[in-house]
Amino acid sequence: MKCRVKFRNMAAGISLAALSGMVYADDMAVNLILPTDASFYTHNFQSLKSPSYLLAANEGEAVPDAVKGPASVAPVIPAAEFKPPMFTGRNAHKYLGLGTIVLAGLTAATAPGEACETNCPPPSSQPRQTSGTAHSRLARATAAMAAATVMTGLLYHWDDFHMEDGWTDPDNLHAMLGTAGALLMLYAVDKSAKSTVPTSHAATAELGAVAMVVAIKLTW
Amino acid sequence: MMQKKWKIAAILAVALSLSSTYAMAEEYFWLWVVNPSRQKGVKPVTDKPYQNECGECHFAYQPGLLPAKSWEALLNADALRKHFGANAEVDKDTLRGIHDYAVDNAAEKSFYKRARKIAVATEEGPAPLRITELRYISRKHHDIPEKMIKGNPGVKSLSFCDKCHTQAAQGVYDADTVNIPNYPNWDGWFSK
Ligand code: HEC
Ligand code: HEC
Repeated sequence: MKCRVKFRNMAAGISLAALSGMVYADDMAVNLILPTDASFYTHNFQSLKSPSYLLAANEGEAVPDAVKGPASVAPVIPAAEFKPPMFTGRNAHKYLGLGTIVLAGLTAATAPGEACETNCPPPSSQPRQTSGTAHSRLARATAAMAAATVMTGLLYHWDDFHMEDGWTDPDNLHAMLGTAGALLMLYAVDKSAKSTVPTSHAATAELGAVAMVVAIKLTW
Repeated sequence: MMQKKWKIAAILAVALSLSSTYAMAEEYFWLWVVNPSRQKGVKPVTDKPYQNECGECHFAYQPGLLPAKSWEALLNADALRKHFGANAEVDKDTLRGIHDYAVDNAAEKSFYKRARKIAVATEEGPAPLRITELRYISRKHHDIPEKMIKGNPGVKSLSFCDKCHTQAAQGVYDADTVNIPNYPNWDGWFSK
């Protein structure tokens, strides 16, 4: 029984991770269609047909020419018609992060009361339930989603993380706090799941969630 | 009890890291904290004279894209007469208004993310005169082939942000909102 639950949670985690990976794969597919300079000329023939393109070849690099910009512009797609795509890796990262916070809130809301620290009643003879409860299910889902958030962040925002900018850089802080938050939540879930007596893991998990909230706010 | 202490400590740690670089009134900090709207780019231009005078030859760059020391260096009568090879002179009163607006809304005075990034990176060292030469901005565009910028009749210079960034006027520079003129399928060409 325990084993099956574990397996199911692992499967859930893997599919979430795969989901985030799929968005990536989707982008890669676009890469495959348009990978080379040569295919550009066959795909984007519009720019070759455009007379302004040929004219531009004769223009100097002089600044006043550049300044005239708007008059000689002939974009294929006017900016007004452009709609930002819905399904991007960066959006996936955003919604996974927000989803993690929502799940963390639900997990906290379903917690079965404070773990006892002083004047504890004698431990009951019933074995402690670490799976099957709403709280434990939500907790595992939160941890899986937190992991998927960190993974998509690493994939899609890798070029926003530069230690040369110092640790007060908002993106660096976001990455470090977000990762730390996810690790704290994973640790809290793991600690509680492995223990046969009530453990005080709430503080760790909450600190993790707060770290993630602060991380999101920093780059919101 | 313990949790509350931790939470406060965590938030304060972040607040501290911000305030070390921000000469910002505390009330603004808390306003930012409780403001749920997205402030990921830079604050859009709100000043009419600035928009008109500085949007004449190119898109009116948001003051949050450079630190105050840069605007000090750019926005004086002498500098404007020799403004990147162009004469961008404006009359004295207008100049004062534009200067004050830019300095008051410079990168280090803003809580918008990209402005904060630029403020942190330019805190030390000489005043950058170009946005395109900021390490952050040049790094972001490093991989774009020349033919998509200089060789592109729809762009011509990296300085014309709004040619590619479709929401530049709103202060939004997200890569997802980029549409390079004549290269509708730019994504995946050079990134990654
Ligand atoms: C007469 C035309 C003109 C006017 C008016 C003008 N500029 Fe410029 N500006 C230029 C040119 C030309 C460049 C260089 C563009 C290039 O390198 O492609 C430039 C570049 C800049 C840059 C650097 C952009 C970069 O490459 O990062 C800044 C900042 C700037 N201008 C600010 C201003 C401000 C603020 C005003 C309003 C006072 C203003 N400009 C008015 C012509 C003008
Ligand atoms: C030739 C078109 C082009 C021009 C002109 C241009 N950009 Fe970009 N910019 C891009 C592309 C493409 C990306 C995405 C790069 C990537 O994701 O690898 C980008 C990314 C950015 C980013 C990071 C966005 C993110 O999601 O992390 C910022 C900030 C930015 N540009 C600011 C500017 C500013 C400011 C200017 C004007 C001084 C400018 N850009 C001019 C094409 C352009």
